Amino acid sequence: MARLNDDAQWIVLMGFVVSFALFFIAILINQSTVVGQTTAEAVSEFPKTDIREVRGMIIRSEFLSDENDKTTVQREIRNLSLSRHNAVVNFSSNRPGGLDPYTYIEIHYNNGVTAYNETWRSE
Amino acid sequence: MTKRIFQASGSDGVSESIGFLLIFTLMMAGIGLVTLYGYPMLMQQQTSADEQIMEKNMIVLQNDVKSLAYKTVPYKETSLKIGGGVLTVYNSLHTPPSSTITIRDGSGAIVEDFKSGDLTYDSASTNTEVSLQNGAVVKRQNLGSVMLAEPRWFYDGQTKTMVINLVNLTSNGLMAKHGIGTVQMALGETRFDDHVPLNDIYIDYTYDPDRDYSTAWDNYFRNTLGMTQIPATEPLRTYKFPPTSRLVIKQYEVIIRSL
Repeated sequence: MARLNDDAQWIVLMGFVVSFALFFIAILINQSTVVGQTTAEAVSEFPKTDIREVRGMIIRSEFLSDENDKTTVQREIRNLSLSRHNAVVNFSSNRPGGLDPYTYIEIHYNNGVTAYNETWRSE
Repeated sequence: MTKRIFQASGSDGVSESIGFLLIFTLMMAGIGLVTLYGYPMLMQQQTSADEQIMEKNMIVLQNDVKSLAYKTVPYKETSLKIGGGVLTVYNSLHTPPSSTITIRDGSGAIVEDFKSGDLTYDSASTNTEVSLQNGAVVKRQNLGSVMLAEPRWFYDGQTKTMVINLVNLTSNGLMAKHGIGTVQMALGETRFDDHVPLNDIYIDYTYDPDRDYSTAWDNYFRNTLGMTQIPATEPLRTYKFPPTSRLVIKQYEVIIRSL
């Protein structure tokens, strides 16, 4: 093999570099679909509006003047969140007493994926 | 052989034909190796890629079922490619069912012989099945099984409430699909039971030994939900619930319109 012209060996080298780069990119793409799936899932699963809604309703129901209405509304909040939002909601309140002028409401929300606890204080 | 007119110095005994032969042999050996080992490896990679894609698809379908059941969306449609195997709907009337579930307390059965039906991907070349059943995605290979995505059952420790969501798949007979297709699902009837249980609650899980997903469910019942296993004769498995003061069982019917 006399007198081979090896000036263009860089073409072969580039070929190798490009093929290895493609290989790694393929691995990355393969992994990224799984990551995107789980992230999107986590975002769509988070019940932000559900919690806000339930929380707002609980606080409003606490200040209903009619005691009967209040019991009915609060029972319905529990039932509706279980049947529509698939979440266990529980709450209890402490009305102002003694020197403490505030109303406290303990709110508990759990839908199996997200659990949320809050002690709300009227201000 | 005629003497060459031009010859570079220091290249005595160098033969072009031997060089050619060497390169040619190397190339042939390369091609041979690729066809012998590379091609089967590529095919294997393809099947495992198909399986992985299908696992992902099943999780997408599970999300659809979740939307239907828990978010009260009436209708869902997903296009997917089913490669290297077949996707089959075994509806809840199919016999033998892959599993039956009975939930009972001191007063008797609350849910009796619930059959979920399942949407199963059966890989053609490997002995693997991925199945969407009762809101969970489970994978099986021979006797071993694993849960890829859990159903939305949960135990709220603060209120001691157990919420169980049973998803029942119905369809117009047995349906199967290969290649690109659309899965259309609609929400059917729902049932809502709110129980104050009498004494302890037990769940009886009976599996079909030919399609045995018991390991996956066993792990889920014991590790995730904190149940304890009570000895029973296989293929029946009995688990006792953690202390529960309120039991909520929701049953959803998901109708698979087409595959």
